[in-house]
Amino acid sequence: MNPIPLAVLTPIAFAFTLPLIGKLSKSVAKAYAVLGTFLTMLFTFEVFKSSEGGPLTYTFGGWRAPIGIVYEVDTMSAFLGLVTSTLLFLIAIYSLEYIKSGEVWYFTLYLGLEAGLIGVLYTGDLFNLFVMLEVTSVAAYALVMFNRDPQSLRAGLKYAFIGAIGTTLYFIAMGLLYRTYGTLNMAQLAEIVHSSDVVNASLAILLLATWAFLIKAAIFPNHFWLPDAHPAAPSPISAVLSGLVVNVGIYSIARLYFTLYSGLPEVKSLGTLLIILGAISAFLGAIMMNVHSDIKRIIAYSTIMHMGYLSMALGIGSSLALASAVFHTFNHAIAKSLLFLSAGIMIQIGGSRDLRDLAGIGRTNPLAMFSFAVAALSLAGIPPLNVFSSKVMLFTAFLDWNPALAGVLVVTSIMSLVAYVKMMRVLWLGCGKKESVGMPVMTGVVVAISIAVIVLGLVGPWIFKGIALPAVAQGWESYVAGGLGG
Amino acid sequence: MIDLWGVAIVSLVLTMIVGIYGVTARKDLVKKLISLTILGDSANAFVVALGYRINGKPPILPSGESVATFAKTAVDPLPQALVITAVVIGMAINVLLAFAIIQLRRVEA
Repeated sequence: MNPIPLAVLTPIAFAFTLPLIGKLSKSVAKAYAVLGTFLTMLFTFEVFKSSEGGPLTYTFGGWRAPIGIVYEVDTMSAFLGLVTSTLLFLIAIYSLEYIKSGEVWYFTLYLGLEAGLIGVLYTGDLFNLFVMLEVTSVAAYALVMFNRDPQSLRAGLKYAFIGAIGTTLYFIAMGLLYRTYGTLNMAQLAEIVHSSDVVNASLAILLLATWAFLIKAAIFPNHFWLPDAHPAAPSPISAVLSGLVVNVGIYSIARLYFTLYSGLPEVKSLGTLLIILGAISAFLGAIMMNVHSDIKRIIAYSTIMHMGYLSMALGIGSSLALASAVFHTFNHAIAKSLLFLSAGIMIQIGGSRDLRDLAGIGRTNPLAMFSFAVAALSLAGIPPLNVFSSKVMLFTAFLDWNPALAGVLVVTSIMSLVAYVKMMRVLWLGCGKKESVGMPVMTGVVVAISIAVIVLGLVGPWIFKGIALPAVAQGWESYVAGGLGG
Repeated sequence: MIDLWGVAIVSLVLTMIVGIYGVTARKDLVKKLISLTILGDSANAFVVALGYRINGKPPILPSGESVATFAKTAVDPLPQALVITAVVIGMAINVLLAFAIIQLRRVEA
């Protein structure tokens, strides 16, 4: 049995039935929501296993490939989908203890977000990508505003306005694309693009779509919503937004450039733009990390920095750069979620996001502090933690293209290390009395993820060789064959 | 003679630019929301126009006509289907934004 529809429809089905169950009992609804994320994780694992031999496809409603909506999952989508659903399952368990009121609506939106993310990663249809992007976005806007205080409402509105402009631009790009090529099916489009000279409108289409995805991925100059929106959300949602939702923009650009339009001159010239904007984002993120004292805002700027690295890697576009981008997306998602989740525990205890109010809190909560340190050192690129191995691969890819880019990677990593060491010093050595509050579930989740970070750091090279390189090596020909051959 | 079709397309593009300007430059949240609806609606009209054929038939297959000749003369219905989806999604986003603006007024008052 094809696992794709199960992986896509499970979160949707659970999201729609959850409010009804919430009417009966809140605790049952919470368990039901976690069950939904758990089942989705199992199904995405099934998809990952079955897609090893080549792209796996599923046609909704039985309409054949170029006519109906097709979901096509190659190794890259399956791998990112598995990471997404696994992290969402762990963060759902963390949320059980974190969210104190409005749980039913929280989990409804959470499952909606999961449905959108899996849909974006799995879809083989450009218009369905737009729909799934909007499903993700609406849930994300609402979750940023979840606390309903003026600060989070303002941040959510800023995010929603800029995000809505982005998706409208993508919609216009889809209209132009359909007018030019007469199809919205990704596999068919890739075939047409690679076999004909219809490129007159491609630059406009690519520019509009790229701009929309740069807004979603928070690359300079479209980054300004992120440092407001990510900290204003509840801590588990900050972890989801920073670890997983921004990846949607990067994934879509990769799909657009290297499956649909690979090797075209337009992609090369836009790649230079991506490299420049990515380098600016990396520097901007690294500098701002050292300026602020709001702990979640510092972590949010670190996200901008890492998205800058990914944008640079996509701009280079060699197969090594692409494979390291996929690998870095995976490692960054885990480490960044862990950093937000462990910071969330300390913020919950300390009652403030300001570093000065949290001084010394790490001493009374050693497990949260340990996880925080593991995540922070990993993101700064300290061996043998997981982000180190992907930063090495990014470094080699950058070095092949231009040593200056490798310099950007090293300098910004050192700047971020300075910011992390400053944070850890205040949290561990600062003088301040804070009582310990028992949070067994949340602490358990962060300790489990920090063990994963250490283990993944050790097995990193094998994951890179075994999954990331083959995922990129599949190329557009096998995507076309998989999408239209059946 | 003025090309009315070209004028319509250019004015739609200009309206979209006005919408983007309004969302980014205006301070007032309600005016931002209005600008966003202007942007969304003109984008929808633009996409419908892309599938339009001057003097085309409505895309409903009359009985007794061959599909091939019909496809050559009718308006393309797919952009209209895309737009109806975008309209529904746009409504969801506008409702969420309107709620957030009202809620912001309430908590700040």
